[in-house]
This record gives sequence, structure tokens and C-alpha cells, in this order.
Amino acid sequence: MISLQNVSKIYSLGEDIVNAVVDINLEIKEKEFIGILGSSGSGKSTLMHIIGLLELPTSGKIILDGKDISKLTDAELSKIRNKTVGFVFQSFNLINRFTVLENVLLPTKYSKERTPQDFTEKAMELLKRFGILERRNFYPNKISGGQQQRVAIARALIMNPKIILADEPTGNLDSKTGDEILDILKNLNKEFGVTVILVTHEHDIAAKTKRQIYIKDGKVVEKYL
Amino acid sequence: MKIQNGYVHLVKTALSDFRRNKVRTILTSLGIMIGVYSVVLLIALGLGLKNYIEGQFNSMGANLIMILPGSGFTGEGGAGFGGQGTVGGVSFDERDLNTLERISEIDYIVPIVMKGASIEGDSDKKFGYVMGINDDAFKLMNVEMEYGTEFTKTDIQAATKVSVIGYTLAEKLYGNPSDALGKTVRVNDQRFKIVGVAKKKGDQQADGALYVPFRTTYASINPDKKFWAIYLGIKSDDILPTVKAKAEEALLKRYKADDFAVTEQSELLNSINQIFGIINMVLIAIGSISLLVGGVGIMNIMYATVTERTKEIGIRRAVGATQNDILQQFLTESLMLSIFGGILGLLFASLSVFAIRTFFPASVNLLAVLVSFIVPSAIGVFFGVFPARRAAKLSPIEAIRYE
Repeated sequence: MISLQNVSKIYSLGEDIVNAVVDINLEIKEKEFIGILGSSGSGKSTLMHIIGLLELPTSGKIILDGKDISKLTDAELSKIRNKTVGFVFQSFNLINRFTVLENVLLPTKYSKERTPQDFTEKAMELLKRFGILERRNFYPNKISGGQQQRVAIARALIMNPKIILADEPTGNLDSKTGDEILDILKNLNKEFGVTVILVTHEHDIAAKTKRQIYIKDGKVVEKYL
Repeated sequence: MKIQNGYVHLVKTALSDFRRNKVRTILTSLGIMIGVYSVVLLIALGLGLKNYIEGQFNSMGANLIMILPGSGFTGEGGAGFGGQGTVGGVSFDERDLNTLERISEIDYIVPIVMKGASIEGDSDKKFGYVMGINDDAFKLMNVEMEYGTEFTKTDIQAATKVSVIGYTLAEKLYGNPSDALGKTVRVNDQRFKIVGVAKKKGDQQADGALYVPFRTTYASINPDKKFWAIYLGIKSDDILPTVKAKAEEALLKRYKADDFAVTEQSELLNSINQIFGIINMVLIAIGSISLLVGGVGIMNIMYATVTERTKEIGIRRAVGATQNDILQQFLTESLMLSIFGGILGLLFASLSVFAIRTFFPASVNLLAVLVSFIVPSAIGVFFGVFPARRAAKLSPIEAIRYE
């Protein structure tokens, strides 16, 4: 479903040139549950941003559903982010001045298709499934980290994406809550066939995925050392 | 439907931000508010001045031709009355009345002697205008009696020492205007018996006037036997150009073209309106400077808002907002700030106009209302577009990492 071909990303920080991602070839199939494992600074987050179309590679091709997306406009890329990809971040990234329900509905504001009513129903369903329905009118800073991350997952799911990109989703949570979040992601993959790409630096978390890829110095390596 | 949903979200987002930053929102709108307030008020005052002047003219009666010395009205001084308003030229006399009488289309010929003077009552002395006129003047200038009667043709011919007193002047001299009837006033050692008290016209000069038969002024008030102006009354304004031309032709036999002017009300009115129009425009332009300053204030706050919300912009971009969506969001906000200020400005200006209406016919017209919506909208868009573009151009990744 997603195929990265010779993808590189080079940043220039003043006079220094940083090779964040170097010549990566990667194939991710539909309904996969895949872990991208790498230490901090390995380039795994950049890789995730490239897969999530938040950043374009300096060189190389990204094929999404058979379509080369490296030449799309901002509006087209935004549409794919809106419809096809859902993000879950380490720091939740909810908007604090909106309620839980409003946060879940945020992606629908940028959708050009359905009417808002059926989205609200769907949002309520998701919140119920994650056990936070009664928190729907709370503001994010009034609920726990685990609850915030569930809200973020609900937000990622509201548009029925094919892919969930989770960047250290348990990084800010205690291990018990983290495990619950991982279970949610696992279930999404199992029950609904959502492709889940989990980025982490922890072996035991990556171990819960079905396939692991190791990143070091911006390259895919055989085995994480 | 989808567009509506989008706009509702934009407005809701902006409102939620305003709610969180009430003081900042109000202070930011204040600049626009003051600008719109001053512009609307100036438009209202300009309009009031125009209404006032037109009212004055209408009170003099329609279908009026004025023969004035010099090149006519120069824009200074009073409207139609008061010798200060004219320059140079000649003074007219009874020979001119006879000349003009030969023009058959003229209904009334009214000589005007006009002099500011101290007018003495029984115990008091007040400044007023002595107006030497004939009996036709009451019809021509729409002066009606509150008490008593007008003086008549006989009074004119016999130069009797009678007078009609303006309402305000009567009030000043005798307290109760009806008490003025039958009393005698003194001007320049001439005595006049008051036979009538004119109805109040709301015109300072007319209400402060003492009308006397023009020949009676020949004694000591006007020993030269000259008139400041001659007013002609005609039946309908279709013949106005004809009469004007004939009057000019007749007078040219005696005077040079530069020495007198034959004008009609509408000409005078036009030139007055033009002058006040220009003054008003200049004042409005000065008032508009505060609108610009207000716009800069909005731009400043919008830049701050963009920085404050960098992370939110990143989140929105991640969930599918296009650059254009972000641009619209911030433009909506600056537009709403600006229009909010405009509405407040209009509201306060309307209240002020309402308050001054009791003594000045100011009014808020459609133009003022349009100005208070359109100008702030333009300012909101113009000054909002720079911060909004900065927000739209932010890299999603850098924005989302911003703390």
C-alpha cells in the first residue's frame, strides 16, 4: 500500500547538513501492524513524517495506493492526510481550548464530504468504545494522559483512515496505561484491518507489533544493536 | 452544506479565542471603534449642517431670485442674510425697483435693507437685525404672525413707524412675546410701534429680526436710501431662467456685470454644499487615520496570535487543514475583530448623534452605516492577510513541535 523508493531527507541547519533519512526502501502492506524501532536521533520520526505526508523527501519516491505522491500540491496532500492517515503523537497534541468531542471532530472540519451530524454520532461511538464518553465535554487539560491519548486515537480514527501513524504513543504514559493504548492499537489492526505503524525506541513495545524495522543513522539496518 | 460547516467552524474558532482573551479582543477592536466612531460622527455632522442650511433656505420660500451686490455669495458669513457674505459691488435703490417692475413675470419685488443694530425696548437693549422690507416680503420669506398683524402697503407708502418683531427678539426684550404687541422699540433714535410678532422659524437671524417698512429706514437708519439686496418672487420655477435673464438685462443698463449678481436659491445652495462637502471630506480623511492605526493594531495582535497558536496550526495541518484553510481561519479572526470594532463604533456614534439631535439636525445615513461595515472589513482583510499568510506558510512539522 505504501512504498518508499530510495527516499532521502536532508536538512540544512545553518552550515551543517543533516542526513536524517538516507536512501530508504520500504514496503508496507495493507493491514500490517509494523514497528519502526530506533534510538533518538535515528531518523525514525522523520521517516514517520514522510510516510504521513507531513514532510516531503529531498529525493526518492513515495507511492501510496499506486500513486506517486511526491508531486502533489498542498491541497492534495492535505486531503490525503485528512482521509487516509491518522496521527497519534507522544504528546497527544490535542487543542486545549476545544472540548474532547470538538477535538475528535477537528479532522471533519477539513473534510469536504459528509455532513457534520453523522460525524458527531461516530465520534460518540468512538468515545464510548474507549470508555471516555462521559468526558466528552471536558477540556483536554482536565483529563488524564491515558484519556488524552484515547481522545487522540479517536480523532485519528474519525475519518476512517487506512493508516494510523503512532509516534511514541506511550512515551508520556505509565506502563499500565501505555499497555492499554497499545492494546487499542492492536485491536484496531486486528478487528478493523487498519494499518498501524508504530514508531518507538523501546524494544518491548516494538515486540508487540507483527513486523519490526530497525533504523540507525537514517538507514534501515538488519538488526537493532 | 460543506461550506457552511466550514464557515461555522471558522467563526466558532474565532469566538472561542475572543472569549479566552476578552480584554485583548476589546482593546484591539478599540482602534477600529474610535476610527469608525469619528468617521460616522463627522458624516452625521456634515449631513446635519447640510440639513440645517437647506432648512434655512426653505424657510425663505421657494421660487426666489436674489439680486445681490458684487459677484454674489462668496461662501463666508450667513446664508442669504448679512452683508458680510458679499463683496464689492453696488447698493441698489428705488430706481432699480422701478426698472424691475417692468418685468411682467415677477410677482413680488422685495427690497432688503439689512442692518445689525442695538434695539431698545422699554427697559432693555438687545442686538438684533433691522430688516427694511415691503409687505410682500412676508409672503416671499414665509414669515407668519403669531400675534397681531403684518404691516401693509399703505404703511410702506406712508413710511409709517410700525414694525413686526421676530419671536426670539420679542422674548428677549419683553419676556412674554405677546407682551410686545403695542409696545414701542427704538433703533438709532427712530421709534417703531410693534404691530405684529412673527411666528418662530428656528432661524436665528429671522427670529432675531425687527421688520420695518423699508422707506421708514430712510430717516436715520438708512439715510443713503440704499438696499442691500432685492428679492424677486415668481409663480413657478419654469420661468426662473427667463426672469433671471430679463432682470440681468435690465440692470446691466445701469451697472457693470461684475457689480451685481442675479442668483437663485439652488445656485447658492450648491456652492454652500460644495464648500461644506469639501470641509467634511477633509475632516473624514483625518478621522480615517485612526482607522489605519486601528488596522495596524489588529495586524500586531494577529501576529501575536499566530505565534501563540503555532502548535495548533501544526495540529490542524496534520489532520488535514490546507494552507488555505489556515489562511481563512486567521483572516476570519481579523475580519471579525475589525467588524466588531466597526459595529461598536457605529453604535456609539448613533448614540452621540441621538444625543445632539435635540439641538442640531445631525443624522446617520445609509452611507455612514455602509462605511462602518465596509471600511473595517477592508481593513480586517488588508491588515489580517500578512499574519494569516505567515500562519499558512508554517511547516506543519516545525509548527507541531513548537512549544
